[in-house]
Amino acid sequence: MTRGTLIYIGQRIGLIVVTLLVVSFGVFAAVHSIPGNAFISEHLHGQDLKDVLHQFGLDRPIPVQYWDYLRNVVHGDFGQSFVIQGQDITPLVLRELSVSMELGGSALIITVGMGMLFGVLAAIRQNTWVDYTLTTFAVIGYSVPSFVIATLGILVFGLWLQDLTGGTVYYKIAWDGTYGTIGELWLPAVALGLYTSGQVTRITRAAMLDVIQQDYIRTARAKGLPSRVVTLRHALRNALVPVTSILGPLVVTIIAGSVIIENIFGIPGLGKEFVRSITAHDYNITVAVFTLYAALIGVANLAVDLVYTAIDPRIRY
Amino acid sequence: MRLSKAKLTGVLMSALGIFAVACGGGGGGGGGGALAAKQILHFPVFQDPKTWDPGKLDAEVDSELVQNVFDNLWRYDNSLNIVPDIASKVPSSSNGGISADGLTYTVSLRHDVKFSNGDALTSKDVLYSWNRAVALRGPYRSNLSAIDGYTDVVTEGKKFCAKGADPTVCATSVQTALAANDPKFAMKGLTAPDDYSVQIKLATACGWCLAAWSLQASTGSIVDHNAVASDPLNWWSKPAGDSAGAAASGQVGTGAYKMTEYVPKQSIKFKRVANWWGSPKPTLTEVDLDIKDASTMPTAIAAWEQGTYDLDGYGGNSTQPVADILRIKGNSRESKELLLKPKGRTTWVSFNIGYPSTGGPFVGESAAAKGLRKAFTLAVDKSALASTVCHNLLCAPATGGLITKGLIGYLGDGSDPLGKFDAPTAKSLLTQYDPDGSKTKNLKYSYNAGGLNDPVATFLQGQWKDNLGISVQLDPHPDASAFIADRLLGKYTMSRDGWQFDYNHPQDWYDNLWGSLAAGSNTSGYADPTGDPTVQPTYDSTLMSADGKPISEALSLYKQLAISQQNDVAYLPLYYSVGQFLIHSYLKGAGSTAQADFYWDGISILKH
Repeated sequence: MTRGTLIYIGQRIGLIVVTLLVVSFGVFAAVHSIPGNAFISEHLHGQDLKDVLHQFGLDRPIPVQYWDYLRNVVHGDFGQSFVIQGQDITPLVLRELSVSMELGGSALIITVGMGMLFGVLAAIRQNTWVDYTLTTFAVIGYSVPSFVIATLGILVFGLWLQDLTGGTVYYKIAWDGTYGTIGELWLPAVALGLYTSGQVTRITRAAMLDVIQQDYIRTARAKGLPSRVVTLRHALRNALVPVTSILGPLVVTIIAGSVIIENIFGIPGLGKEFVRSITAHDYNITVAVFTLYAALIGVANLAVDLVYTAIDPRIRY
Repeated sequence: MRLSKAKLTGVLMSALGIFAVACGGGGGGGGGGALAAKQILHFPVFQDPKTWDPGKLDAEVDSELVQNVFDNLWRYDNSLNIVPDIASKVPSSSNGGISADGLTYTVSLRHDVKFSNGDALTSKDVLYSWNRAVALRGPYRSNLSAIDGYTDVVTEGKKFCAKGADPTVCATSVQTALAANDPKFAMKGLTAPDDYSVQIKLATACGWCLAAWSLQASTGSIVDHNAVASDPLNWWSKPAGDSAGAAASGQVGTGAYKMTEYVPKQSIKFKRVANWWGSPKPTLTEVDLDIKDASTMPTAIAAWEQGTYDLDGYGGNSTQPVADILRIKGNSRESKELLLKPKGRTTWVSFNIGYPSTGGPFVGESAAAKGLRKAFTLAVDKSALASTVCHNLLCAPATGGLITKGLIGYLGDGSDPLGKFDAPTAKSLLTQYDPDGSKTKNLKYSYNAGGLNDPVATFLQGQWKDNLGISVQLDPHPDASAFIADRLLGKYTMSRDGWQFDYNHPQDWYDNLWGSLAAGSNTSGYADPTGDPTVQPTYDSTLMSADGKPISEALSLYKQLAISQQNDVAYLPLYYSVGQFLIHSYLKGAGSTAQADFYWDGISILKH
């Protein structure tokens, strides 16, 4: 790694830190300004409610509360939940983050694996039934919203298949334990990754079609190199550059999509927490989740930028 | 290239084989009565515990779970009768448990009661638990408010718990004071003549106290002081330890089950307490709960249909998505496993009666204000509401007063004149009291959005338009907590209101909802002289008189209050809620009262 690359990484990390500060303060101020709170009920109101808010320091000015919050976060402490009284947030959101990464990673494998495979196949079998089928599949993938695919998937594989096979083969809907098994994971991962894999298929196909018409590919074939070698070693490597360029936005899409998918499948990840903490006024968790998402997106984009240099030696920082 | 039908079928089946993962079969019909080898109950809940500390607990989902962990001196059986729990009998005047003046209760405890860690329960545990609940100043502390010395302990508790800006300081300070037997933290009316007797002296006569003290998983529940001492703030969130005495820790209670695992936002496990002191001995060895988000209720129902869950609806989750319940009702096999059970919850519309600063046409007790309230009330067809919005499944028309059918204080089917639908009279009242429409223009109906509230609001809007010719603007509030806060302060002219009873006594309704005792939570301001000194000055005196009498004598007074509310048109009754429970037929003993789920110790799983 060159000195220039290290400086670039340092600058990007600095930018990520600034982004996190801005995001966390913005979210902190916003959620604390929403009317209502986590404590009020028909049995806890009036002066009693004010006492509880005072106990939790929620009656202080927002900048004061944020400063206290920030000091704790620097020490790795995101505070405690207001809804589950006494629950530390840091271990909770880290566990949920790992669950979301399992799901997101699986979706990313589907996105990249299936998308590139289909894209390459469609390109090298251009204008055949293979091309038409895979292109149609890609169009369907990025045209149908993930929540529709998820709901249909539950209906088809969870209920209809169970009826059809007399209860011997079906997708088990409830997610047991912290992490999903392959049997539990595949449907949410497909629902989450199908949209982005459709995009990857299209871009890979277009990039491959462009590359395989280049002179150096013709030269490689003329030299008698096997078709597989020409495709994988020469064509695909150069076609990867445009594909890699959209990986950053695709990761963001997958993260955003996980909010819906985790809620539909009841997956105990960060996406589910994202919604639940907002509706429950669990301020500390909301800010922690937003901040982690911002960090995740920043790091993912940085990683993609670094991958460029490995794929294309012409790119230097 | 074309694929043959056979190949296509093969490809499809292969794809299904790859994707679908085989699992066990779903639920089926009930067995012949023999028990299944595996006695593990599995169901979803849709909320994490807010707190399981009985001194501070106030959420239905929490109480319905830990009612199986903590016991009271008495408890409600499946018919809502008060029966002995830790106490050996239910005190009454006839058995000498209640003194002739009604001010002293003498309670004998069972001698064989043990906590799950083996600690023996004595009267000191009762004193500790009740004094602690008052000092912590939790939402239900007023259940103990009639005991002599209650106010003094609340005041002492406030010194620690309202100024610390730290809940740990509050819990630890209270624990330290109680452990040191600080007399300032002991209600003087609560004493222990010996290890198995408790004497309760009241400051004022109280006809509802026994009902309130029996409320499960609340301030009347008994906790182990050793376990609380191990972590005064968060002891309840940790699995129950097996060590007794000073080494006790975690969520230790005297119930048939103990919590053995809690993964926040994910799952909870309870296990049967070995050699539990009570009887009959529980059959279920384990109860496994998945914590899901409320948005995944339809998915949870699908999982129940698959057989993954044994039941759905426990843990305060008996209001299910309408579309799914209708689908299940229409399925001949599954409809047999749908239990519809009236819950002790009534929904009505509150008018602003006692908050002149909020204003509106319904304020006060003038003939015009009452007449307009009545016009809006009679213009609504409650039966049509139950059939169109609730499909006659999710609710029933509220025609017998605000106290729900099946509870003490219910007035009888069709007895409430405000429950009637009379569009001509409604229109004539409107013409009489608002001939030019100036008083009733720009009216708003406010409610918290979600669930049945949206279709109910649309229905009401339609009824007022059709039967009165008035366009009422709908004012939905997406955030329930903000709506409730404003509603309790009387900030709305017309708003959705409701109550789910805590314990089976009319006092639970009349003290908490109207009159000066409900100041701060009196939505309509009805009979609250602090808001409007001209309204119903006799309400408070009648209520206080009723509250001090045994229920047999008090019922007629509570009925007087109900009738005066009807005469004053204090509310617009809408519906009684009906809970929906999905219970596979192989479960024996599962069900619900109007108040809570049946206890787990009565459930068993049959072969299926």
